[in-house]
Amino acid sequence: MLEKLVAIIEEKLNVEGMEITEATSFQDDLDADSLDLFELTMALEEEFGVEIPSEELSSFTTVGSVLTYLEEKGVQA
Amino acid sequence: MKTKITELLGIEYPIIQGGMAWVAEHNLAAAVSNAGGLGLIGAASAPPEVVREEIRKCKELTDKPFGVNVMLLNPNAEEVAKVVVEEGVKVVTTGAGNPSKFMEMWKAAGVKVIPVVASVAMAKMMERAGADAVVAEGMESGGHIGSTTTMALVPQVVDGVSIPVIAAGGIADGRGFAAAMMLGAEGVQMGTRFVAAKESIVHANYKEKLIKAKDIDSTVTGMSTGHPVRSIKNKMTKEYLRLEKEGADFMELEKLTLGSLRNAVMDGDVINGTVMAGQIAGLVKAEDSCQDIILEIMNDAKKLLGK
Repeated sequence: MLEKLVAIIEEKLNVEGMEITEATSFQDDLDADSLDLFELTMALEEEFGVEIPSEELSSFTTVGSVLTYLEEKGVQA
Repeated sequence: MKTKITELLGIEYPIIQGGMAWVAEHNLAAAVSNAGGLGLIGAASAPPEVVREEIRKCKELTDKPFGVNVMLLNPNAEEVAKVVVEEGVKVVTTGAGNPSKFMEMWKAAGVKVIPVVASVAMAKMMERAGADAVVAEGMESGGHIGSTTTMALVPQVVDGVSIPVIAAGGIADGRGFAAAMMLGAEGVQMGTRFVAAKESIVHANYKEKLIKAKDIDSTVTGMSTGHPVRSIKNKMTKEYLRLEKEGADFMELEKLTLGSLRNAVMDGDVINGTVMAGQIAGLVKAEDSCQDIILEIMNDAKKLLGK
């Protein structure tokens, strides 16, 4: 799951070649802004077939927080 | 001119006045609405009761539809969102964030919701959340901006959603209006041209600075903070950009801009204040009435569009 998520993040946020772990912060480590998070969310919805209400975006601070959210939604990678 | 936006909003011309903080108050909003466009009151960070007062004053000046721009970063956003419903405002545009949590309340009250977006993904998400239209705002705009130009953003948003798209950023005359239509927009939103309007209450110094501005006179501060703002170059922006280059921290930069828009708009401090304006300021040459602005744009655009 983490691997798949990282691959999506790498592609959508143009951060290939950067170290990405669960602790990676979108804002501090990847310089992602709110538009990047919209982008990422749309990609996650497409990939995993879930609907992510846009209110959730503010809780997506680290890669781990997205992972937890997807797992709680019952997403199987 | 009939477009999906004139039909949606019940207005004569598909021209919306931007919901600019401090500038978009009841006099300007009513003048734009009376001229057949859609005027907006910019709630910005005003307390809810001030917004209510503005709405009531606007109603005294016009019986046409007008809207309120709700700035979602405002700690009072929720109360402002309710005031809009209580006062029977018909249109809301939203800026600086995600309006999803207010969508249900607004839709239930029959308010048309038009979020301002700066990317295709954001537009898609707003469409899904129930938005009636979106304003696709390019980085030519004044004030808080995204990073994509109007020319590039508008057609991509048009292709990405099925709700009507209003183009904003860099539009101040009939040519800009016609170009926006060619990109697939159903209307335009303009800020800068209306800031210089006769009915605009901005200080004479602000208007003069805007009218004198040339094509290259705007600059963007705050890139490093993640909240870029376009304004006309002055002592403040130069100082800000110097500090930014030196890697000054957020708090230090904030000190320069705290209250600076208000100081420019209300007190006419165009030296240390923030004179927000778009790149198109160079095209704005005179202080025209809102009616003259709208009629000129529509006449020119109709000729260009062959309508």
